[in-house]
Amino acid sequence: MVDFSRVQKELQECNKDVKISGISVKPKADSLSHLIGTIPGPVDSPYEGGTFLIDIVLLDGYPFEPPKMKFLTKVWHPNISSQSGAICLDILKDQWSPALTLKTALVSIQALLSAPEPDDPQDAVVAQQYLRDYQTFVGTARYWTEAFAKTSSHGMDEKVQRLVEMGFPEALTRSTLEVVGGDETLALEKLCSN
Amino acid sequence: MDSDDNLDYYDSDYENQYSDDSDDTANLYDDEEDDSAVNPDDNSKSVKTFTVLQEDDINKRQEDQISHASLILSIPEVSASKLLYYYKWNVSQLHDEWFADEEKVRTAVGLPSDAVSISGTDELITCGICFDPFPIEEFHQMVCGHWYCKLCWKVYITTSITDGPGCLLLRCPEPSCKVAVCRDMVEELVAEEEWGKYRRYYLRSYVEESKKIKWCPMPGCENAIELELGNDLFDVACLCSGTFCWNCGQDAHRPVHCDTVAKWVSKNSSEAENTNWILAHSKPCPKCKRSIEKNHGCMHMTCTPPCNFQFCWLCQGDWREHNEKTGGFYSCNKYEVAKSKGLLDEVEKVREMAENSLNRYTHYYERWVANHKSRDKAIADLNALETGILQNLRDKTLESEGQLKFIKEAWEQIIECRRVLKWTYAYGYYIPEDEQVKKQLFEYIQGEAEAQLEKLHNQAEKELNNFLEKDEADFGVFRQKLVGLTAVSHSYFTKLVAFFETQKW
Ligand SMILES: [Zn+2]
Ligand SMILES: [Zn+2]
Ligand SMILES: [Zn+2]
Ligand SMILES: [Zn+2]
Ligand SMILES: [Zn+2]
Ligand SMILES: [Zn+2]
Repeated sequence: MVDFSRVQKELQECNKDVKISGISVKPKADSLSHLIGTIPGPVDSPYEGGTFLIDIVLLDGYPFEPPKMKFLTKVWHPNISSQSGAICLDILKDQWSPALTLKTALVSIQALLSAPEPDDPQDAVVAQQYLRDYQTFVGTARYWTEAFAKTSSHGMDEKVQRLVEMGFPEALTRSTLEVVGGDETLALEKLCSN
Repeated sequence: MDSDDNLDYYDSDYENQYSDDSDDTANLYDDEEDDSAVNPDDNSKSVKTFTVLQEDDINKRQEDQISHASLILSIPEVSASKLLYYYKWNVSQLHDEWFADEEKVRTAVGLPSDAVSISGTDELITCGICFDPFPIEEFHQMVCGHWYCKLCWKVYITTSITDGPGCLLLRCPEPSCKVAVCRDMVEELVAEEEWGKYRRYYLRSYVEESKKIKWCPMPGCENAIELELGNDLFDVACLCSGTFCWNCGQDAHRPVHCDTVAKWVSKNSSEAENTNWILAHSKPCPKCKRSIEKNHGCMHMTCTPPCNFQFCWLCQGDWREHNEKTGGFYSCNKYEVAKSKGLLDEVEKVREMAENSLNRYTHYYERWVANHKSRDKAIADLNALETGILQNLRDKTLESEGQLKFIKEAWEQIIECRRVLKWTYAYGYYIPEDEQVKKQLFEYIQGEAEAQLEKLHNQAEKELNNFLEKDEADFGVFRQKLVGLTAVSHSYFTKLVAFFETQKW
């Protein structure tokens, strides 16, 4: 059984200082075992200015088992799969401890964005590029940040509007866009399949 | 290896060794004269090279080492237990590092010398895991001063135990804190079942971290075998009666090398489709073609009346030709390449080569299997003997148990010889084609040993039955022959094994 009383406390605690940290966690639907985390791209990194959404699933053993986390926003990083968003980070695996929280895990992910570990890669293509051609890596990572991680601030309204014009309710459109990291095509797909 | 060496060896050592007891054996062998004092049991002078450890033995060793370390290092037993596990039971390394820098060891293992002292408080404390506030009695205090309630501790430790033996290295949940969770705490907090699991992991670590102890691979057996250091005789026998090679885990295969065994075992599985028929239990009689079932361990087959043809299970040749009295050596163990059928074109040549290669393999595999099965049969026969037949025999002969010991010894000799013979066929398959001198010497020694074993096995199986069934048979003669054949087989197999000890491959 997930310890929901603890998850509740975690959410309150985390969202208290969201203004300072920029990190937030919200329930995805009405269940507390599926959540969405948000982290701002760290300054002085190719991810600066982007907002990254993390899909969080809590298994029954939580907090004694680690939360399952992956990027919903597409990101170009050696330790994150550019295809699936899977994250290679020790505290999400064997180094997890129940004394850690969703917030500390998201902070660690944010730190990972600042300091990639190409020797322990999740995405071999990105890691190779990072090691062999750092300039191109930075360029690609920036481009991906522009293209996928900024859509939620820039042009979000236009996207909402376009989708609403197609006949979808505005609230649903917004939440759907948020879930898929602002990707208009994915949002449309999801809206149509509902 | 140089083939001259072999010849030298053969001429001198081998002959000398051979002639040592050949006087006795010759007499016995000719079925004449009375018994000479041949001790079939001179196996016993071989030194013991391993120790079987049962669960209690392992436990006792662990506890002894723990209390010893506790005394030497002046620390509580729970700490000693943690340290020994951390140092993989390497006591001298633990001592060295501890006395070189105790603090460093304490930090690495997570056993701080001083505890954070907390005086009682009336205020509620928030648990670092469930984030609920509780009075201080609800907490389990660790020396590091991190606060987790008893229930969270319990789930934390239980989860870790469920995850596997990593629980033996469990530390405080606070990621920056390295303080170890010791076994007293585990025992106090978790349920009986998990505590049992934890203790098992701890027990197993003693074997699994050791370079000279391994678990017995027999299904269901929980014993471990400790090999004496500097020993390269890997065949060991567990108390469960399983025998195996300590080094590679296969069936005991001395004198054949582990590498040869590994190659052979994988060859057998890749050839399985071609050799299924070898596992058959019956073959047609070479003379009358009736199907004859093999229900004895020895290879000497006798067709049912009226045919009564005696033939060899392995080569299906006339059994009389397997007797050195008719002139030649026992040669059923040798593989002869079939004569080429005259001029061949390329395609036919390739086909013939492939055929020869399979035939050659089949020759060795069939003999390997036959000896394996024959050994199993002998084990079953010995078992039957001990659980019944021996008693019948005592009633009939009025001999004491000690006086009938020779029958059991004969069977034990058969079982051991079948095992050795089986593996020499794996070895024989891998003798390089260009080592003809070595090959011939090996096949000669192997053939001699095999011929003696067939006689012994035949005597133990059929003559014993004859004796039990027919009243006129003379037990004294039976005993004399069996004791003699046991000694002869022992001597021939000792030579066969000695051959391997001079080989480098
Ligand atoms: Zn708690
Ligand atoms: Zn601690
Ligand atoms: Zn065993
Ligand atoms: Zn071996
Ligand atoms: Zn017949
Ligand atoms: Zn034969």
